[in-house]
Amino acid sequence: MRQAGTYSGILSGGISGKTGPHLLPLARIKKIMKKSGEAVKMISGESPIVFSKACELFIKELTQRSWMVTMQSKRRTLNKEDVASAVMATDLFDFLVNLVSESPLEMDTSKYS
Amino acid sequence: MENEISHGNVTHGASKGKPESPRVTCSDSTTTTNNNHNNNSKEQDRFLPIANVSRILKKVIPSNGKISKDAKETIQECASEFIRFVTGEASDKCQREKRKTINGDDIIWAITTLGFEEYVGPLKLYLSKYREIEDEKLIFPEQQRQELQKQYHHHHHQQQQQSEYEQNLGFNNNNVYSLLNVLSHHHLHHHQPPCFPTDQPFSLPFSSNSFQKQLQ
Repeated sequence: MRQAGTYSGILSGGISGKTGPHLLPLARIKKIMKKSGEAVKMISGESPIVFSKACELFIKELTQRSWMVTMQSKRRTLNKEDVASAVMATDLFDFLVNLVSESPLEMDTSKYS
Repeated sequence: MENEISHGNVTHGASKGKPESPRVTCSDSTTTTNNNHNNNSKEQDRFLPIANVSRILKKVIPSNGKISKDAKETIQECASEFIRFVTGEASDKCQREKRKTINGDDIIWAITTLGFEEYVGPLKLYLSKYREIEDEKLIFPEQQRQELQKQYHHHHHQQQQQSEYEQNLGFNNNNVYSLLNVLSHHHLHHHQPPCFPTDQPFSLPFSSNSFQKQLQ
């Protein structure tokens, strides 16, 4: 097993913003966080670290649920509609309902400014 | 229609509702190039890189399963939405408590409040390991850590056997070897190299290159 790498890799990635051995780039996470509101000004160094793991868990869960829809339809290719179905079927993903039911480009970022 | 706009078969005209940078000029009408353009401009600020997202989602579907490009992009967008959603909640909490900086605990609190309690266990563990490693950074300067790393790698190659070290190291299920734990035994057992169970490849936190490969 290579689990040690996931955790011990934290160090070389650090908070310098490099992608490093993290699964997700910390600088990008930080940018996205800052865009979520005017009030978000200061973010501790460990916040993007927590998010990199949380996002990984979230992506996995969303994908797993979507894949179950794909399998129910006896297909082997997960498509966008499967993701939408998974979102609709999961209360936890209510915050995504608008996102999956409209064109991504129509979602105005001014909502988040 | 919708697909064309969002996934760029179109050249200049379809800028309706497109919040991205105006510098995206799709002079090439091939699908691939336009998709790359769109992904690049999207990715710069708003989304996590599609390659990273892909890597994660491939872990949870069978190897013969496939994911369409638009599904990947949708998941990519959902991940950003997740970050915004949680951050907003954490930020509100900080405001209420008159604190300026959002920290890891705030994020974990927000994640719990919003219903993702199942994530909290792994997250807390991850965060505590991170904090532990950061503390070690303070204690051991970079040079010294690298020196220790060389020693351990050398010893590890020479002797791979189980011993009471394993119990004394006190590592958890995630098999992270805190340098402090290892060092305390190195100090006590001076002439004896630290030994590690053979089924776990030991990796010190400070070698960057080896982990790149491990996480692929």
